[in-house]
Amino acid sequence: MQVTLENVTHTYQPGSPFQATAIENVSLTINPGEFLALIGHTGSGKSTLAQHINGLLRPTTGRVLIDGKDIHEKGFDKREIRKNVGLVFQYPEHQLFEETVAKDVAFGPKNLGLSGEEIDERVKEALERVGLPYDQVAEKSPFELSGGQMRRVAIAGVLAMRPKLLVLDEPAAGLDPQSREDMLSLILGLHRQGTAVVMVSHSMDDVARFSTRAVVMEKGKVAMDGTPVEIFSHAEKLEKMGLDVPGICRLGILLRDHQLPFPENIFREQDALAAILSLWKGDRHAQ
Amino acid sequence: MLNNITLGQFYPSNSLVHQLDPRMKILLLVALIVGIFLAQNLLAFLPIILFLILAAKLSTIPFAMLIKGIKPLRFILIFTFVLNLFFLQGETVLLNLGFAQIKTEAVVSAIHYCLRLVLLVLASSLLTLTTAPIVLTDGLERLLSPLRVIHFPAHEMAMMMSIALRFIPTLLEEADKIMKAQTARGADFESGNLLNRAKAMVPLLVPLFVSAFRRAGDLAMAMEARCYHGGEGRTRLRVLKMGKNDGLSALVMAVLIVLTVLCSRIY
Repeated sequence: MQVTLENVTHTYQPGSPFQATAIENVSLTINPGEFLALIGHTGSGKSTLAQHINGLLRPTTGRVLIDGKDIHEKGFDKREIRKNVGLVFQYPEHQLFEETVAKDVAFGPKNLGLSGEEIDERVKEALERVGLPYDQVAEKSPFELSGGQMRRVAIAGVLAMRPKLLVLDEPAAGLDPQSREDMLSLILGLHRQGTAVVMVSHSMDDVARFSTRAVVMEKGKVAMDGTPVEIFSHAEKLEKMGLDVPGICRLGILLRDHQLPFPENIFREQDALAAILSLWKGDRHAQ
Repeated sequence: MLNNITLGQFYPSNSLVHQLDPRMKILLLVALIVGIFLAQNLLAFLPIILFLILAAKLSTIPFAMLIKGIKPLRFILIFTFVLNLFFLQGETVLLNLGFAQIKTEAVVSAIHYCLRLVLLVLASSLLTLTTAPIVLTDGLERLLSPLRVIHFPAHEMAMMMSIALRFIPTLLEEADKIMKAQTARGADFESGNLLNRAKAMVPLLVPLFVSAFRRAGDLAMAMEARCYHGGEGRTRLRVLKMGKNDGLSALVMAVLIVLTVLCSRIY
């Protein structure tokens, strides 16, 4: 499944004194199986863009296409979008409402009009998926769980719809380091099994580690679009936009400042280790 | 979905009416309401109408905005008018419709009651349009504070009102977000019959209440951390002070009440 945004502009409250253009003339294609990281300063339009991907917001001008079909055209069944594109908002645990965890996760599939058996099966699968044992949590109230567990229940609620594309708005915000790691490896696992992922993130380390493509937004426009290696090789440009580069990247800059030949295109820990080891060994051979 | 709701109706400006002391404005409104009820005939409304026109002019509020405040009242107005027209007894017959007679007295009284309603609404919306909600609660607190003698919690009431006002936009934003999140999971808020629609509100209302309670807890903690312990001995950021204009407006109001009473008697 391919989602295409064509010259999408979105203006909030047009014609009022509070009129604000959040994104302007954005064209973007999200390919199947991609892990796309959406980066940008606060207010750069990332969240607005994310909400266009599953038709929650309607572009003021421009079109959003799923597999070539305009989703805002009359005969288009909105359920088709909800089924295929899952959206996880920031702090998704704030949207839990049911009496039991199982019922909450079942909310999405129920709205899709699935049969009872199919729903049960999906709920079980989604809960196991996010690392919560069904037998232990299914009948609990979601409000008894810890913050990290609540977030996983909320994400299970989206996964139970079996989306082909998953859009996540800062899924790891406010989590402790262990839950953060768990959350990211959960997302990575989903991506490996073929789900396309769009992740809004402020952590450049996460972007460098996981994404296959990074899109940088600035003032409502796409400022950069490419592989993480391409994006992070423009450290200065990113810093000018008020954005960061991965820690390894900064280390590389420091090392090069000390006249050490550390390659410029290294952003992951394991690559950095290899480069440093080879530098170190080379140094010892020289002595 | 929810962004077409205008919040409060304060119209920011720097006009003379805006600058009046909120306490004086509340008192003026009370006096004006008393005046409106004292007026016994149409002539007696004249000073009140003139006063409101003058106040509206001085406040620089667009005329259309004031009229918008009366709009929701239109059904009550029509209802009142029709009821008075047909059911009030009188002596002179103005119009004979066969099934009912319309009396001259009934027409006058219908106009009288409708005018009274319109003026009441206009006067109060003039207060809320020219006074920021926070200033208004501040003024109310000061006016009610003498009632502390009989253990009326004036400060607590004003604080609760300010907090409620402060959180309306926050909760609206939250509601919008939750609505979107549930829509993304296939929830449908906009179709179906009344019962289905009411049921569809559960996924919105439960998280909204949960978040309101969470915010209330956080706010209570933050207030305590800053040593809030009620109104006792608390100084204020905005010290209310009556000025020359406040005295002048009180004087005008006094004259107006006298005029209204006189007109009511003479006629």
